[in-house]
Amino acid sequence: MFMTRNEYDRGVNCFSPEGRIFQVEYAIEAIKLGTTAIGIRTSEGVVLAVEKRLTSTLLIPSSVEKIMEIDDHLGCATSGLTSDARTLVEHARVECQNHRFTYNEAFPVESCTQSICDLSLKFGEDGDEDAGGMSRPFGVALLMAGWDTVEGPRLYHTDPSGTYIKCEAKAIGSAAEVAQSTLKEKYKPDMTFKEAEKLAVETLKQVMEEKITSTNVDIASVKPTFRLYPVEEVEEIIKELTS
Amino acid sequence: MAVSSWRMDVPGLDGKCGQASRAAADLALGQDALLTNAEVTQANFPLPAVQNLDHFGKKVEDLVKPDHGTTTLGFIFKNGVIIAVDSRASQGSYVSSQTVKKVIEINPYLLGTMAGGAADCAFWQRNLGMQCRMFELKNKKRITVCAASKMLANTMYSYKGMGLSMGSMVAGWDPSGPAIYYVDSDGQRTKGTIFSVGSGSLYAYGVLDQGYKWDMDIETAVELGQRAIYHAQFRDAVSGGTCSVYHITQSGWVKLRGNNHYDLHYQYYPDGHATSANSVI
Repeated sequence: MFMTRNEYDRGVNCFSPEGRIFQVEYAIEAIKLGTTAIGIRTSEGVVLAVEKRLTSTLLIPSSVEKIMEIDDHLGCATSGLTSDARTLVEHARVECQNHRFTYNEAFPVESCTQSICDLSLKFGEDGDEDAGGMSRPFGVALLMAGWDTVEGPRLYHTDPSGTYIKCEAKAIGSAAEVAQSTLKEKYKPDMTFKEAEKLAVETLKQVMEEKITSTNVDIASVKPTFRLYPVEEVEEIIKELTS
Repeated sequence: MAVSSWRMDVPGLDGKCGQASRAAADLALGQDALLTNAEVTQANFPLPAVQNLDHFGKKVEDLVKPDHGTTTLGFIFKNGVIIAVDSRASQGSYVSSQTVKKVIEINPYLLGTMAGGAADCAFWQRNLGMQCRMFELKNKKRITVCAASKMLANTMYSYKGMGLSMGSMVAGWDPSGPAIYYVDSDGQRTKGTIFSVGSGSLYAYGVLDQGYKWDMDIETAVELGQRAIYHAQFRDAVSGGTCSVYHITQSGWVKLRGNNHYDLHYQYYPDGHATSANSVI
């Protein structure tokens, strides 16, 4: 795509003659620079696993946040610009709370994903940040893991174009392609949660450049409430993997 | 309400305050603009076209507060916090319900009590619950009772003079320990260890002040709370129904009792109350 770079690649309001909006495509490229994140859905719950790139031993690993809680029943893994992710997560949290306040029920996972995508699509619009007007697309992809009261566990993938897709298993980030083909190969619809958890971490281990440790990955589950695993538990899962 | 005698002379709404209320209104309408900057209370909606807004506000309040009959109490002691409430709702002399839930469970560590307009209390404390949850998600720690009560007081102040009616205790446990704050629709907010709110509060205070000791055990404290509510229910015509007692500790609140006040009456006075109506000649 970079072959066709020309004056059309600057504006977000403008299609190129071939019918592309380059800034959106570049934003999607930004995710390919991001860390790898994996999500797998089973009938028992959804598991999220992400790689954390710790560029220095002086970093405090727990402060690198790649999995965020949105509500009791909803969490997301991010890849790309973390700061953009925070804007989207904040928006999602507000929407969840407003939904609870108005209807006294949990926000459906699809509706929440949709509201994030609505915001993702507001780039290039007039108006200040509060009104949702952004000068560029968000450079982040999310894996939304949640539990619906009626439908049960759900996994959605969103990207900077505002598209969202319901998935059984999905990988995003720099090693997405390799990881996705592994998932495609090994995912089974009747997997138990434990198996999915193992597959997610195993796949992550396979694609990570550094050696997998309890500090450079985050694991979380939604079954049916969101929970980010403490370091000890991550350690245990990694230990099981190597044994 | 006994507590209203503490009211300080606070200047009422001016133009700016009126504007301040929209943010809160936005929130009520489910618009996210507000929650993203919850503390900013800049907004505008038209004020009533009257000469004296304070006076008008008072008149409106008298018109719209349908149930003032209530007894609620809360106190801190050695083993935590006790919250006890009655369950009667009245509209004037008409008893409209005997089964109102006057304790609002904001989150597992925070309780709010209801006195004044039932809808005003229920709505704004649910709204407070939402703000507390947002705080938790943003800051990754539970909100303090101090901060939660201040948010409610700020909301109340932004609507000052516009007819809201609420007298509430926000009680809970945070890292600094147990706490109770009294918050009302005037925007007043007071920290304390013993509170009672509602038309029956005088009766409750009587029992409470007489029986209160810092180092009570839990059973004694629960009994004291229940007894204070029972006596208020007995003497105050617009307090009644059941008596619910909650206990808050480090690990959150639990509901310990919920007894019908008739049952309590015959439990406390199996042979009839010495001063009850049947002994009056």
